[in-house]
Amino acid sequence: MQASPRDAELERQLETWGASQSDRELSPEIRRKVQGILTSSLTPVKPLPSQRTLFFEFLAVFTACAAGLIAIVDKTGFHLMTTAQLASMAAILAGGGILFSLIIAWQMVPGSRRRFPLSPALALSGFGVFGGIMLLFPWRTSGAFVPEGWPCAAMELMIAVPAAVVFWLLARRGALFASAGLGAALTGSAAFLALAPLQTQCMFQQAPHLLVWHAGTAVILIGVGALAGDCSRRFGRPFR
Amino acid sequence: MTQYQGADPSALDELVRRISPPLLRYFGASRVVWNDAEDLLQDCWIRIHRSRHTYRSSEPVMPWIYAIARHTRLDAYRKRRRLESREVLVAKLPEPHQTVPQSAAEPAALEHLIASLPESQREVIVMLKVAGMSLEEVAKATSSTVGAVKQKAHRAYATLRRALGKDKENAS
Repeated sequence: MQASPRDAELERQLETWGASQSDRELSPEIRRKVQGILTSSLTPVKPLPSQRTLFFEFLAVFTACAAGLIAIVDKTGFHLMTTAQLASMAAILAGGGILFSLIIAWQMVPGSRRRFPLSPALALSGFGVFGGIMLLFPWRTSGAFVPEGWPCAAMELMIAVPAAVVFWLLARRGALFASAGLGAALTGSAAFLALAPLQTQCMFQQAPHLLVWHAGTAVILIGVGALAGDCSRRFGRPFR
Repeated sequence: MTQYQGADPSALDELVRRISPPLLRYFGASRVVWNDAEDLLQDCWIRIHRSRHTYRSSEPVMPWIYAIARHTRLDAYRKRRRLESREVLVAKLPEPHQTVPQSAAEPAALEHLIASLPESQREVIVMLKVAGMSLEEVAKATSSTVGAVKQKAHRAYATLRRALGKDKENAS
């Protein structure tokens, strides 16, 4: 930590304080106790793959599940979209998959390097989805907004909830520390995965419908995930 | 650490012998009483043991250890707060005798000021000054970015500088 000249006195005092903490020593009794506890359950373990491998694992699961679901659903939405809409939505959903896979891989290994802060990254994914839909799709609605919309939201939940469980099962191989960020990343990844087949199938390719019933449900899922992670952190229940 | 992952008991003994003192200082400097610090150390070692498969030999060990230590401390802090919120005082306790530090230059006075810092700033100062970690290592241990760590450190320095300035004014 480089200090400016006006911090020199404070820096000196902090160094003195830091050095004064070194006087405290561990009692041999405690050390023997710790060694005894750990030695009794000492077995060889296989180290977790690198963060890059974990990231690609999550991305592969995300891509495989999305491709599999797209293959089995009806392709009405796919045929209704223009090339620009199709390419942009594919890019936004793939970007979300990459982002959330990266965040989950970070959270699996304690002390991992984080290259960008979590909250702006989540906000960016939200702006990507909402902005993309607002700019690319027509602003018109048919008469039956709710009856046409809720089956889409239900389908998204039916795909996203089991997907979130699968991602959690994969993630819990690491040393997970419960947090709002981890909860949001798990459900976010699942929501983006569910959006891919939904977009392919949906016959209502209009901005209000997509914003409310597709993206809105994804936001709710991410919020619920963040809340679950935060409650788990507050009440001391680890995610594993 | 790699030998420890391979279940070598001598590697475990060596690791406990070398890592425990700095961990104990970290817990001790984090506003906990000394007996609690020893309990936290034991809890932390159990967590390290359970998570040992997540360590990779290509990465530095200290940020990995301190990331686990940090969560051990935070979990204990939350547990204590929950218990304290349920406690009911049956009688009013006498006011403890306030010991006013004679000089701000004393480590005890500085410790008092550091204890009054917000949790996230105090944590950064403890990791930098007690654990002797670099900004990069603190960023890894706190799941943060180097920029965020620098910002917290600068805010802590500004708060401490202001408090020490006030102490000096009061003394003169």
